[in-house]
Amino acid sequence: MFVSKDSYMFEMIRTELVDAIGKDYVNTGDSDKFGHSIDYYWIPEMWHDRGMPTPKPDFVVHPGSAEEVAKIMKIANQYKIPVVTWGGGSGSQGGALPIAGGIILDTKRMNKVINIDEESLTVTTETGIITRHLEWAVNKKGYSTMHLPASIACSTIGGFLAHRGTGVLSTKWGKIEDMVMSLEVVTPTGEIINTLPIPRHASGPDLTMMFLGSEGTLGVITKVTLKIHPKPEERQFRAYLFKDFHTAMQAGADLMRSRLQPCAVRLYDETETLTHVKKVFGMDIGSGAYLVFGFDGKKEIVELQMKYAREIMEGKYKGTDLGSKGGDLWWKNKYKFFYPGYMFHLPQAFGTLDTVADFAHIEKVYWAMKKVVNEKFPKARFIGHFSHWYEWGCMLYARFIFEGKDVPQDPREAAALYNAVWDAAIREAIKNGGVINEHHGVGLKLGRYMKDLYGTSFPILEGIKKTLDPNHIMNPGKMGL
Amino acid sequence: MNIDKFEEDIKKCRFCFMCRHLSGVANVTFREADTPRVRSSMIWGVMLDKSKLANADFIDTIYSSDMSAACRFHCVNKWDENGIVLAARRDIVEAGLVPEEVAKLAKKLVSTEAAPKISGKGDVVYYIDADTASVATEAKAFDKIAKKAKVKYATATAGECGKALKVLGYANEAAEKLTAFVEAINNSGAKKFVVSSPFVYDALVNDAKELGLKVKPAVMHVSEFVVSLKIKFAKKAGELYYLESDYLKNYNDNLKFPRELLKQLKAVSPAGFTTDILDEAIDFTFGTNNEESYTCGEGAVVLNVIRPDLVKKMAKYVEARAVDVKNDVIVVASPYSKLQLSKNTKLKVSTLTELAASCL
Repeated sequence: MFVSKDSYMFEMIRTELVDAIGKDYVNTGDSDKFGHSIDYYWIPEMWHDRGMPTPKPDFVVHPGSAEEVAKIMKIANQYKIPVVTWGGGSGSQGGALPIAGGIILDTKRMNKVINIDEESLTVTTETGIITRHLEWAVNKKGYSTMHLPASIACSTIGGFLAHRGTGVLSTKWGKIEDMVMSLEVVTPTGEIINTLPIPRHASGPDLTMMFLGSEGTLGVITKVTLKIHPKPEERQFRAYLFKDFHTAMQAGADLMRSRLQPCAVRLYDETETLTHVKKVFGMDIGSGAYLVFGFDGKKEIVELQMKYAREIMEGKYKGTDLGSKGGDLWWKNKYKFFYPGYMFHLPQAFGTLDTVADFAHIEKVYWAMKKVVNEKFPKARFIGHFSHWYEWGCMLYARFIFEGKDVPQDPREAAALYNAVWDAAIREAIKNGGVINEHHGVGLKLGRYMKDLYGTSFPILEGIKKTLDPNHIMNPGKMGL
Repeated sequence: MNIDKFEEDIKKCRFCFMCRHLSGVANVTFREADTPRVRSSMIWGVMLDKSKLANADFIDTIYSSDMSAACRFHCVNKWDENGIVLAARRDIVEAGLVPEEVAKLAKKLVSTEAAPKISGKGDVVYYIDADTASVATEAKAFDKIAKKAKVKYATATAGECGKALKVLGYANEAAEKLTAFVEAINNSGAKKFVVSSPFVYDALVNDAKELGLKVKPAVMHVSEFVVSLKIKFAKKAGELYYLESDYLKNYNDNLKFPRELLKQLKAVSPAGFTTDILDEAIDFTFGTNNEESYTCGEGAVVLNVIRPDLVKKMAKYVEARAVDVKNDVIVVASPYSKLQLSKNTKLKVSTLTELAASCL
């Protein structure tokens, strides 16, 4: 807690916040504070499960505009109060947790779609909008953002911008950073700025990219213009089963090297094929590694690309064709994996060790992480799939899972075990050519690895932070800053 | 405690975000506390520490739920956050911790005679509950339809079926009311009991079953009854938007009759659109989807009494999603929703009954 609720200073600050944005939008109730004390990070969930108190904010504010955000920033600087920006609160890295108390700046009141530009094919929106609502709004006009992550129903578009999120169609349509035209940002000191209106230019460094992925440490993104796309005439999927993960990886890499343009590619290792794919699809596909891919766009082009892709899968790599049904099942069930009953949950301990590397390193990263988890934590299961593919490599969505009986009941011991797995696995990822994360962000969970990852360039990040946020009020303790 | 019976649902919902976009209250208050996730998570806290049940802020949040059950309908495994909240309300009632406005309303409901007054004769009894009576043209519209179809019917008025009490957490009192209500309609000799209010339909179909009560007449929502009459309507309904009912859709597995009636009335759906989760456009979709509840709290039956400001915000949320506020034709299944939307917005709202009568 920043100041005791019994202190008159609490009331002084509350009065200023109310004056800035209105009484209805400054909350200090127990339910509100509790609601912002747990996100999708396993540690606070476990902490609450064990009946332990979770760190809470002192104030929860819901500004309705960039101007109101600016007013809050000025008050926070005056009193040097921590400000943590909260969108949907569905982050898995603890990035929005108010670990130092202070103000939770909940963006969801800034939820208006400002303009759909059908000439340039862009949408300008406030960033507190739940992404599903944004997608529905553009669907109604016949378009799509093509940003379709599993957390689309619970995350704000600002949340995706803040940690460089991605969706299931990223292979063709890009991660969120590829979709952005420009941003409006309120800086930590309360200035409202706009980045350049277009993303491709030779007019100096790209400030848009600096704010993307900054996780609320450099300011609050209040408005964004994103690309939108006509809904494709055709979208087709096809799946193959390969004898092992290595063969499937080679087939997937060849598909990307062919420069065909799949909208999605997803490869499940043998373990995850056996457990998850069968459980979620209800399709008995036998043992091996399941690879699904798809194309979208004009029907004739989709069919032609599919033909060439099938030649890659069935020729050299001898994949067993599961047909379009095997692929359509994945598309139809793409969000189902994340509902309770299919997703891991307490008392299990689990984490997503996602990383990304080029094709020359990705298998090494996978085997190194798997080896270290298996050897150091024999009670943990290690599974993985490769979700987001690029011309040069792909993302590994590795997961470790401890069954409840193997997780200490003492919350401190449970946290220590959990952190030890991350330490071992992430350091192996860095050592073998990976990075600490691909699309979930850094947050509290991975902040301690930032110096290892960035090495001698980390002071540049620290310098940017110091310049923009001289009083160090923005999301302190996150991203290693 | 009643919440203990929902331990598995609580464990599944307490950290799950998959339905948060459908949280009708959180979408207008912007509060995390008003999402199914946080409500379930707080209730988990109560399971661990019973003293937390008495927290006034917790109680206020629990009574602010709109009980739409949109989350349960959406959930692939049908985890029951609605049931969790209902159980928590029962625990609050049993612990004597109900907020003043809830206690006051409950007292009034308890003192209301359960058995409706039945006037007239006929195999069909049409029930005019308080909400239906408040929509001045609802019963008149039913009468016009019945006359056209040459159906003789009796009316049931007043009475208290117990649904509001149940939703407020007064389970025993609700059961007593419903038992007496069912007894009265069973004694009426009616073969069909027709209701306009979906909450009454749900009480007589699902709550009665839960209590082991046998309801002799066939219980029909007015849309089902009108469809069964196979009337040849003289006029076409034209282009309109249909706002789903919480009770008919989310509590009764998307009852087909409202849409069947719209088809009989030759209603025209505005241009449809598809989403990545629905490959086919849904007819008559209002706003951008038919998953969100636009009922202004129909699921909570009396939310307008205990949380009028909240209901006003929910109505404004609906209004903001209209394409043309003054000219859009909005059709609802429940008199409750018509009342709230008419009171708080400039939207033109008809019930299904009124729409059908206007097409005769």
